[in-house]
Amino acid sequence: MSKYGLFLGCNTPALRPDVEHGIRYSMEKLGVDLVDLPGYVCCPAFGTFPSSDEYAQLAVNAWNLSLAEEQGVNLAVQCGSCYSSLRMGSHIMEEAPKREKVNEILAKGGKHYQGKARPHHMLDILYNEVGVDRIQGKLQRRLDGLRAIVQFPCHTLYPSDVVGFEPDKGPPHVLTDLLEALGASVEHYSLEHQCCGGAGGFHKADSGAAHGFLKSKLDAIAAETEADLIVVSCITCLMWMDNQQKTLSEGNGHSYSLPVFDLNQLLALCLGAPPEHVAAISTVPRERITDRFK
Amino acid sequence: MIDLEQAEVIPDMWREVFESEDIRFCFNCGSCISVCPASNADPPLLIRRLARMVLLGLEDELLDEDTPWSCVSCSKCEEVCPMGVRPFELGLAIRRWQVRNDETRIPPSLVELYKEGYTQPVSRALETRAAVGLGELPTIDKDPELLKAYQKMLMATDVVSNNDYMFKG
Ligand code: SF4
Ligand code: SF4
Repeated sequence: MSKYGLFLGCNTPALRPDVEHGIRYSMEKLGVDLVDLPGYVCCPAFGTFPSSDEYAQLAVNAWNLSLAEEQGVNLAVQCGSCYSSLRMGSHIMEEAPKREKVNEILAKGGKHYQGKARPHHMLDILYNEVGVDRIQGKLQRRLDGLRAIVQFPCHTLYPSDVVGFEPDKGPPHVLTDLLEALGASVEHYSLEHQCCGGAGGFHKADSGAAHGFLKSKLDAIAAETEADLIVVSCITCLMWMDNQQKTLSEGNGHSYSLPVFDLNQLLALCLGAPPEHVAAISTVPRERITDRFK
Repeated sequence: MIDLEQAEVIPDMWREVFESEDIRFCFNCGSCISVCPASNADPPLLIRRLARMVLLGLEDELLDEDTPWSCVSCSKCEEVCPMGVRPFELGLAIRRWQVRNDETRIPPSLVELYKEGYTQPVSRALETRAAVGLGELPTIDKDPELLKAYQKMLMATDVVSNNDYMFKG
């Protein structure tokens, strides 16, 4: 059984703990032991310390990484920007002189980062460590008959030499392969690789453009596919694509209501978890999917 | 349009903004913009243009630029830049340079992170968590000594110590 420190970040445990429960449930069933990281803090998010002071960013990254290192584990992360922040930070700190300078700051807080603990995204662990075959062998229920589209988490793709874990070059397929392993069929559409629009700084700067991204995606999904649901693996994609369909529907004449799930939520459902624990919180109703699991 | 006849130009300014010398290899190809979601914002984030402003040393104009703050942090630009400029990192470096030169640019969220450690009420979401069958998390506030140690560490960073009045009290 492999073991990871579960790095939850801020949004998931505070606003979407059902996703957290889905992660805990599914990973345990698949033989991945997740331990808590007592005293962890915000990754830091790109709009905070990384936008104001590089060494403050690295010190906070190192704080979190050192907590995992103390327990002798790597980190498991679902949130795209937490993953990217921690991954890029640990990459920068591979350089010993940088790491030493960070450690001088970190020492004021009584911590030290040796550069051993590294963050891994949930999709990476599921695909490259657990593997599609082992997942399929454990399923109690399947998503047969459901058609899905996916939103690839951008923070896990680029820059590929630092954050990437796709097995080959070319279009990403880890998320689609995992979803197909659960029995869903994955449909493709023209705006599949367009940004969801959910990043904080972006929708603060131009809310119209951010909503426009989601609207054009939803319109393309409706025109080009018969999708029953959207599947993501990033809390920002999940909350934005789920919450904003309501905003887009208001005064629009057209009502958007395509349920959005995190992959680990669906995985947990297929492994026997009750929907009221792992898929309870959403703006778009998703009973038409979760009722299958009652 | 920036009027270069009128603008004040500081030739070595890029060294203050971006640690990486590779910015000098930017040859204006625009690949970064072609993949950039935030280039669709109004006003558009045009990372190539920002690289030019940094290299030309257009201090006043760059201090006034809000567009670096609309980046979605997808790093697509880093993937495609043929010259290894690392445009995403450049955008963050411009934000940091603005923050160093203008305290009104300091993200207010830093204070929250200093005081509580999180951008969301992670330690107070007890009901939401209980409703889906989850208990409390070992958040940093549960260990006051550890929270103090974390704050002491942050106090040793430039952005916090140089602006300590924002964080105390
Ligand atoms: S990281 Fe920022 S600048 Fe680069 S492509 Fe994404 S949004 Fe644009
Ligand atoms: S892709 Fe690179 S070289 Fe081309 S304009 Fe952008 S930063 Fe400059």
